[in-house]
Amino acid sequence: MSWTSRLLAVPWGMVCAILFLVLIGCLALYSASDGVWTASVQQHLMRSGLGFLIAIFIAFLPINFLFRISFFVWLCFVAILMAMPFIGVGAGATRWIDLGFMNFQPSEPAKIAVIVLLARYLSQRSFDQIYKLIFHVPALLIIAITASLIFVQPDLGTGLMLIVGGLAVIFVSGLPKRYVCMGIGLLAAAIPIIWSQLYDYQKARLLTFLNPESDVLGAGWQITQSKIALGSGGMFGKGFLQGSQSQLDYLPEKQTDFVFTLIGEEFGFVGNVSIILIYFLIIFSITGVGLKAKNRFTQLVSSGLAMTIFLYMFVNIAMVTGVLPVVGAPLPLLSYGGTALLTMFVILGITINMSQNSHKEDLEVS
Amino acid sequence: MAKKRKEIQDVANQISRRMLFVGGLQISFGLILVGRLYQLQILHSDAYLKLSDQNQFDHRLVIAPRGRIFDSKNRLLAGNAEVFELVVIPARVKNLEKLLANIDRIIGLSDEAASEIIDTASKQPNFLEISIKSDLTQRELSKLAIRSAILEGVLFQKNFNRIYPQGKLLSHVTGYVSGVTAQEVEKNQTLRRLVGLKTGKSGLEKTLENSLRGNFGKERIEVNSKGKPVRFISDNLPQRGEDHQLTIDIDVQSYAVNRLKQGNSEVVELATSAVQEAITRNDELQAHINIGETMILKDAKSRYVPPESGAVVLMEIKTGAVIAMASLPSYDPNLFVGRLSNRTWQNINQHPRVPLMNRVVSGLYSPGSTFKMVVYAAALEAGIVSADTTYFCKGFFEFGDRNFYCWQEKGHGRVDGRQAIAQSCDVYFYQIALKTGIDRIQNMANRMGLGVITDVGIPEEKLGIIPNRAWKQTNRGSIWTPGETVIAGIGQGFVLTTPIQLAVMAARIANGKKAITPKLHSKEVENTDDFAPLEINEYVLREIQRSMRSVISDSRGTARNYDIDGYKMAGKTGTVQVKKITKAEREAGVIDNIDRRWKDRDHALFVAYAPYDKPKYAISIIVEHGGSGSSMAAPIARDILKFALERQST
Repeated sequence: MSWTSRLLAVPWGMVCAILFLVLIGCLALYSASDGVWTASVQQHLMRSGLGFLIAIFIAFLPINFLFRISFFVWLCFVAILMAMPFIGVGAGATRWIDLGFMNFQPSEPAKIAVIVLLARYLSQRSFDQIYKLIFHVPALLIIAITASLIFVQPDLGTGLMLIVGGLAVIFVSGLPKRYVCMGIGLLAAAIPIIWSQLYDYQKARLLTFLNPESDVLGAGWQITQSKIALGSGGMFGKGFLQGSQSQLDYLPEKQTDFVFTLIGEEFGFVGNVSIILIYFLIIFSITGVGLKAKNRFTQLVSSGLAMTIFLYMFVNIAMVTGVLPVVGAPLPLLSYGGTALLTMFVILGITINMSQNSHKEDLEVS
Repeated sequence: MAKKRKEIQDVANQISRRMLFVGGLQISFGLILVGRLYQLQILHSDAYLKLSDQNQFDHRLVIAPRGRIFDSKNRLLAGNAEVFELVVIPARVKNLEKLLANIDRIIGLSDEAASEIIDTASKQPNFLEISIKSDLTQRELSKLAIRSAILEGVLFQKNFNRIYPQGKLLSHVTGYVSGVTAQEVEKNQTLRRLVGLKTGKSGLEKTLENSLRGNFGKERIEVNSKGKPVRFISDNLPQRGEDHQLTIDIDVQSYAVNRLKQGNSEVVELATSAVQEAITRNDELQAHINIGETMILKDAKSRYVPPESGAVVLMEIKTGAVIAMASLPSYDPNLFVGRLSNRTWQNINQHPRVPLMNRVVSGLYSPGSTFKMVVYAAALEAGIVSADTTYFCKGFFEFGDRNFYCWQEKGHGRVDGRQAIAQSCDVYFYQIALKTGIDRIQNMANRMGLGVITDVGIPEEKLGIIPNRAWKQTNRGSIWTPGETVIAGIGQGFVLTTPIQLAVMAARIANGKKAITPKLHSKEVENTDDFAPLEINEYVLREIQRSMRSVISDSRGTARNYDIDGYKMAGKTGTVQVKKITKAEREAGVIDNIDRRWKDRDHALFVAYAPYDKPKYAISIIVEHGGSGSSMAAPIARDILKFALERQST
């Protein structure tokens, strides 16, 4: 493959979109810090720079290597997740590891590890095996083990996103329709059981979500204030640094989980829809790489990664607009918060890597 | 091999299809988000903008200082004191009960007050301020300020407290203000947003509420989510309420109140052990002490008794200006301004002599013999009698199967109208009333101001009852009987009037030309031409005036001992039975008033004006269960008139 065709194969749209979102994230952070150029803005930029380096590094790895180490990487994450109760930090939840320069949330990259491992396993199944449920059981086990380790942290949102992302990979790999239907039926039946296993604060969040106005100043405060901020933004917003909800601290977590609201208050419907479109540009860039690829591994990885980004976006925006309960999910690249940001760059790196290898027919463990 | 190729192709196709399917799902869910944003930011944007504005700005109404009330000589009757008020915004407090407990530890807060605050907080939106304590002292203020760190959600507000420097002296005229009630809020929702607003609940404070209240100022405070004000923007400055000057002269008022309270008894020193002991043993004395009474009397039988109850109205004959107006017992209107404790409220509200009632305008009493002027005037006007017509009084009047007794058992002998008024002969009036008829009497009473609302400006004024045949038919559903006319002839039976109406009657008789009505505002008495003509024949009025003079000047007049030195007084006594005298009692000899229980004693009334030749003031007095009009009410009226006349001439 020539250098030019290699360069052309790089999903430049996705790269630009990510750069653009990082910049928007810095501006939002600047606005959230009362229009002061604080250390957090600088940090956001530095982490993004680090992210780019990681992405480039991953992009240049041989894809066979990614394929081969996926099981080992996953095992490492399982080990780290199991160790979380001892090495983790966080108030009431052991989600983070203090790395000194940042708080690292292993459950975020664990999602990627699960997707890559699932893709490897499923792409190796013969076409007969794909149609048999028994061969999907190991895949389901990978998901279940990882998700349950995340659930006990407890981190409901990330765990659920991992499950949905993993199931998307299984679905794309060719799981027969009857099992898909069965799965959906089982899930519906499991809801009451899941409910009984939830922590009180998780239940409270769900209940508040169902009726946010019931407790305007308690748990419903965030959602109510977020809706007020978004709604008052109108079509074009109140203008940069002019969001009264954000500037007067009515908006909680405005630089992290509620950054979309801050953008909405200051740039309105137009600003918000633009953000959604940019995320879709990224999602479809990844899907595009998968569609072009000739090997199943790339197809399945790209499906999983696209779904991961979609879920990030959907869960966060649905949460701040009051469509889903508050689960504490960031909007990567925009939200201040390291791990999700780095995960995005890992996804970028893998995507670029796959774009360079889409012509390969099948990958082997050698 | 070909088969395997095909299989591979099938699976590859299926993967592509499923990827596209997932992409389609993602787009659909993305559209849900866009739809939601459209709903929030386009469809309902206005509503959210309003909410955001409410968040950003605390729209506040600012209470204007209430208009002041002065007496005729510009002495303050109701004013404002600047105070600091401690208020809480429940929305900004995590645990209201704990906060109140903290405040209790710092400045003291009764459980009663605390539970009231918690109760209020549960009943209204939590962003509305609630007053914790008004009228903070400097000491409390500094104590609280030091500990403001543990008092999140509370703030200090400058406010105005109503003060009534005259205390109990004029409470029934000024009335009082107190916190906004639920009913008021129901009528006007904005009142709820004004913490510390006090509205008039009785007296002039109530009647003049709109004028006294002034206009609320409007202020926007930009607040952050922690309730911390960031910026103040004043849209409208509050406009002070209007001041009002009254015709009341507080010196005369004070004299009248104390004179009426004292009655015929001796004021004793409160601090003596005998008096203190009497108070602990006597519930009635106790009840008076509990509402802040400081006057205790020793009656003619050396018993310790509370001060007299009743009403007095003194008004100018030419202008209708009310110089003094009092209802007793009274209460301290200052008590209602702050948080009224349950105990204080009970002391006032359950007091046996009903201090909250304004007897001047809402006390209904039989006018008794003071009504005789009306009957005489009606009879003269109708030509039933002339000044020379006489009747014989043998102590009772037989009518039908019943005897109507005169107060004078021996009878008055032959009396003409003037003598009948002077000696208050009942038999004379039984007979002329019967001849004149109730309709004519009623008509004359109305013209003299009885049974007519005076509109002096005090709320809850009562109409009273001046009956006629139509009234009986409508209100009692039966026909008027002549016996009822007989008893109405001496102002008893159905007849009920208020003390202010009796004062108006005296003023109209003395004025002779105009239908004077009482006025409390200085502004209203500047122009005296507004009164309607009286429309009572001058000859009739002259005869009534002379008769009233005879009450004092005649050697047998019922108030013969009470002329005013240097001024001549004209008046009429009234003694109103409150308990029917049974036949057995009459035969055994009626017990003296002073030996009866207070409740069973007769009401003592006196209406008068002075000076007789150049009338200046009219007065009406009622001493509840005071005994007799001549011995109790007349000397009080004489003294008050004298005080007012002497004061006016100097």
